[in-house]
Amino acid sequence: MSKQAKRDAKSLFRNCQINGILDEKRVLQTVDEVLKRKPRGFGAILSHFQRLIKLDEAARTAKIESATALTPDLQNNYKEILTKRYGQGLYFIFQENPGLLGGVRVQVGSDVFDGTVRARLNELNESFKAA
Amino acid sequence: MSNLLQEIESKISGAQTSVAKQNVGIVREIGDGVAKIEGLTDAMLNEMLDFGNGVTGLALNLEETEVGAVILGDYTGIKEGQEVRTTGKLLSVPVGKGLLGRVVNTLGLPLDGKGPIKSDVSYPVEKIAPGIIKRKSVGQPLQTGIMAVDAMIPIGRGQRELIIGDRSTGKTTIGIDTIISQAVQNRAAEAAKDTSYRPVYSIYVAVGQKQSNIARVIAVLEEAGAMPYTIIVSASASDSATNQYLAPFAGCSMGEWFMDNGMDALIIYDDLSKHAVAYRQVSLVLKRPSGREAYPGDVFYLHSRLLERSARVNEKYGNGSLTALPIIETQMGDVSAYIPTNVISITDGQIYLETDLFYQGVRPAVSVGLSVSRVGSAAQIKAMKQVAGRIKLDLAQFRELAAFAQFGSDLDAATQAKIERGKRVVEIFKQPQFSPLLVEVQSVILWAAQNGYFDDVAVEKVKDFQKKLVDYLTNRKADLMGRLSKEKAFSDAIAGDFKSAIAEFKQTYK
Ligand SMILES: Nc1ncnc2c1ncn2[C@@H]1O[C@H](COP(=O)(O)OP(=O)(O)O)[C@@H](O)[C@H]1O
Ligand SMILES: [Mg+2]
Repeated sequence: MSKQAKRDAKSLFRNCQINGILDEKRVLQTVDEVLKRKPRGFGAILSHFQRLIKLDEAARTAKIESATALTPDLQNNYKEILTKRYGQGLYFIFQENPGLLGGVRVQVGSDVFDGTVRARLNELNESFKAA
Repeated sequence: MSNLLQEIESKISGAQTSVAKQNVGIVREIGDGVAKIEGLTDAMLNEMLDFGNGVTGLALNLEETEVGAVILGDYTGIKEGQEVRTTGKLLSVPVGKGLLGRVVNTLGLPLDGKGPIKSDVSYPVEKIAPGIIKRKSVGQPLQTGIMAVDAMIPIGRGQRELIIGDRSTGKTTIGIDTIISQAVQNRAAEAAKDTSYRPVYSIYVAVGQKQSNIARVIAVLEEAGAMPYTIIVSASASDSATNQYLAPFAGCSMGEWFMDNGMDALIIYDDLSKHAVAYRQVSLVLKRPSGREAYPGDVFYLHSRLLERSARVNEKYGNGSLTALPIIETQMGDVSAYIPTNVISITDGQIYLETDLFYQGVRPAVSVGLSVSRVGSAAQIKAMKQVAGRIKLDLAQFRELAAFAQFGSDLDAATQAKIERGKRVVEIFKQPQFSPLLVEVQSVILWAAQNGYFDDVAVEKVKDFQKKLVDYLTNRKADLMGRLSKEKAFSDAIAGDFKSAIAEFKQTYK
């Protein structure tokens, strides 16, 4: 993929943000507009554009997994803490995962806070391997 | 959920604040030992990445949407979609005296089957070079034990001197001889309980060489008793390009440890031509743009940041040093190719070895005209300075006159004498491999030549005369040699005593 295509995609992407938050309507309008005009290398531009959107979405998604379902109170608690840390515009997913055995695993973008029993057991397991 | 359970749950989530943050990514693409990873937004350049199952990668390309990482070790188990995490640690190797006598790989892991490395300190392989405030000018000699080098292209501790020449011209041999010479001097100082002598520890980094060549080097160093003062870092031709690319940096960190702790170390990079090729390969799989001779544009920076780390630091920072002897292999004597020009411009001079000389039997095949040391003469001992300057001139004049004499013109007696002297000096500088000479011995030989004591020796007998003279002086005139090594100069008194000693020897020499 050419540098120019990446640069173009990046500037389209920036134009779709309002106050640092991606605006869905603008994203769709942008895609329609590019498809209508078909500028040189528009395929590459759109595919990189899509990638940026995907990464932005990942960065704005907070996934909270727990062995047992969290009460609404606890859920709100998490929303508050994470919004304080990562800012407005987060999209929250709460998931139940008995495989974690206990505790909570939070992922926002590529940041992970893993306090599950499963993670600690894995760590213990690795430390035995290393020794 | 029961109240009890809820309470436990909330206690656990309350403890979340104590859970360390990790940064993760997902493998998007894997091939050729390189992984493209999405996420990992916190990854640092040269950070070690954990692929799980004990597999480590190194973050080399930090891009906006992904991280390019090379896998150190077996990458066959890595799958697309797999999770990768940052470790917060830069690629590091063990350092310290526990590595002396050992053969290790790029990661500092033992290859010699002699058990684990004893080390409780590690250094990142990429470190910032000492700044100008910490540095001190080169002022103490690093004796290679090779007379042609110590007399005419002297090297100081903390200097970077390039060894350059075509294949099989004796480049590796000069490096190995220098390591052996350090061991000989270290041991001599230990035996004499001379605490003023600063021992030199050596690191030999083999890059992209055949395993058999590396084995030969190890055998030679073992035979010469040099291993107790030496570390060997090996990334052979059968190792991955990544390991070859990182090996000089790993070796450099091991050398830096000595420098940082007020000691002197020497490092040989054998060789940086193969190193550049390995780097080109790594860059190719990372899809970095390439330039001249298909090398990535930053190959100059690669070698300059490596060689910059050699220095002599001043007293305030412990007075340590790291001397570097990088080796470059040229093709058909072409020093104007990309990599040779780069490294020549980074170093403080070069020892240029010539194929023609090598085949004429002039070994070491040092080209006097094309070799220079820009800083080392400040570090020569006085006795050597007294004789070396003139010898180099004699040799240069000889080369000119010898070319002139080929035209068969009648030569006056003075010219004839210069040619005859020159022929003998060429012989004197021939030196077999793995037999370093102490600097006192070197300077006496050159002093004798300069004062005409070789003039009446037949050219083909010069080596024999030299050897017997040295034996005579070291065995029968040990006191005098001792005075010279203490005073480090030819005072009138010492010169007078050498005159009578050599005259005495000549009476008995047949
Ligand atoms: N001073 C010397 N006297 C005799 N033989 C030498 C000398 N220096 C090197 N050689 C021989 O020349 C060959 C090439 O030397 P080597 O150091 O391996 O070259 P390079 O590293 O330049 O390829 C080796 O077989 C070595 O033993
Ligand atoms: Mg060699």
